[in-house]
Amino acid sequence: MLLGATGLLHQALATVTIWALSAVLALSLAVALAVGSSGTRTALRLLAHGAITVTRGVPTSLLVVGAGILALGRPSPAWLPDPFPGTPPELALVAWAVTAALALGSTGHLAVIFRTGYQSLGPARLEQATVLGLGPLRRLGLLAREAAAATLAPTGTRLVHHLHNTAFAALFPVAELFGWVQEGANTTFDIGRYTTAGIGAYVLLSLLIWALCRGVEHLLGAPARRQPAVVPA
Amino acid sequence: MIVNLLIGLPDQRPGGLALSVLSALVAGAGALLLGLVYATVCVGAPRLSLLVQGALAVLRGIPLLLLIFVLAQLTTLPLAAAGFAALGLYSLAHVGETLRAYLATYPQAMRDQARVMTISPVRELLQLRLPWTLRQALDALGTHWISLLKDTGALTVLGIGELTTIARLLSERAATTQWALILLTAAGLYLLAVLALIRVLRFVKLRLTI
Repeated sequence: MLLGATGLLHQALATVTIWALSAVLALSLAVALAVGSSGTRTALRLLAHGAITVTRGVPTSLLVVGAGILALGRPSPAWLPDPFPGTPPELALVAWAVTAALALGSTGHLAVIFRTGYQSLGPARLEQATVLGLGPLRRLGLLAREAAAATLAPTGTRLVHHLHNTAFAALFPVAELFGWVQEGANTTFDIGRYTTAGIGAYVLLSLLIWALCRGVEHLLGAPARRQPAVVPA
Repeated sequence: MIVNLLIGLPDQRPGGLALSVLSALVAGAGALLLGLVYATVCVGAPRLSLLVQGALAVLRGIPLLLLIFVLAQLTTLPLAAAGFAALGLYSLAHVGETLRAYLATYPQAMRDQARVMTISPVRELLQLRLPWTLRQALDALGTHWISLLKDTGALTVLGIGELTTIARLLSERAATTQWALILLTAAGLYLLAVLALIRVLRFVKLRLTI
């Protein structure tokens, strides 16, 4: 493992990779669970509710430990892509398992945020969307855009928390930032330097995620603000 | 196995779920008290408290695991104390901001009423504003406490014998067929603890609204 500034950049990149992959997976699963738990089919709704309760109730640390132990003893299949910088290719399966566990750790929380945002639109708005006669996907897109005002801020907060959770990957031989801080501090005994670099990098990445969410919030809110004011005839 | 998961390994008691709950309770209670002080100072003197607010914002950007590691490595605190302190600081960073936001929304009309009734500012704060703030912030605080209970699993990085550490140790020692059962039991215990906490929060909310 590289220990200097280059090492910091490599590990920050590794953390961003794990965060991005697990966040996309978590967001996709959360949308599915939010739709399922708001639907009319009882069996599907109960299943989605159960999945949300379990993923919200079990700590991410335990999910990561379970996934890591499950994958650690198994060889990584040749077909499995290895997008994780710094992690040896033979441990790609462990990195993917940890990524999936991290995603599951945030899925329930994100699903509740999405469901609450959807419900906050109110029955009248939801009926309007149905009356428009759009297909299910276009209707979902329209409602997601409408609900974005209520959901983007808590989603941003959760995605920052999700970034912090990527540090659990250090429990296994998967390259990421916290593992780099730990190893650097333990190898060189220059604890202050490594922890300061780690804190700086995490704070910066958290700030970037927050700014990204605010940017999306601004973009989605902009058209509504640009609408001309209704002038009475 | 279940006894070890509930109260810890024989040579490390209290541990397991008992230690997870205890650490969340200590950290949560400490953070709540400090959070109330922080919120009061921030609302009372917003400009003076800018530095503290900035520090807390930075603290919110640091992962709990890193915070635990920093306190364990850079202070002379015993490992368990460093872990508890890190949990408390982490909780304070979130609770403090929540309480500050709710305290700032205390209605002006209620303040005016207190003034008309010649209630002193200190009495108004202690008997009216802070209880009102706690009632209003209960949902947000509850969500955070649930998260905190689960986040005690981060203490595993120091090897402190809370539930995740015990589950990890037992599953690493166990035969291949048993490790999944151990982890599932631990997950079930966390889930039960979270559901119990949700019940307690619902009960408290109901009592406060009556």
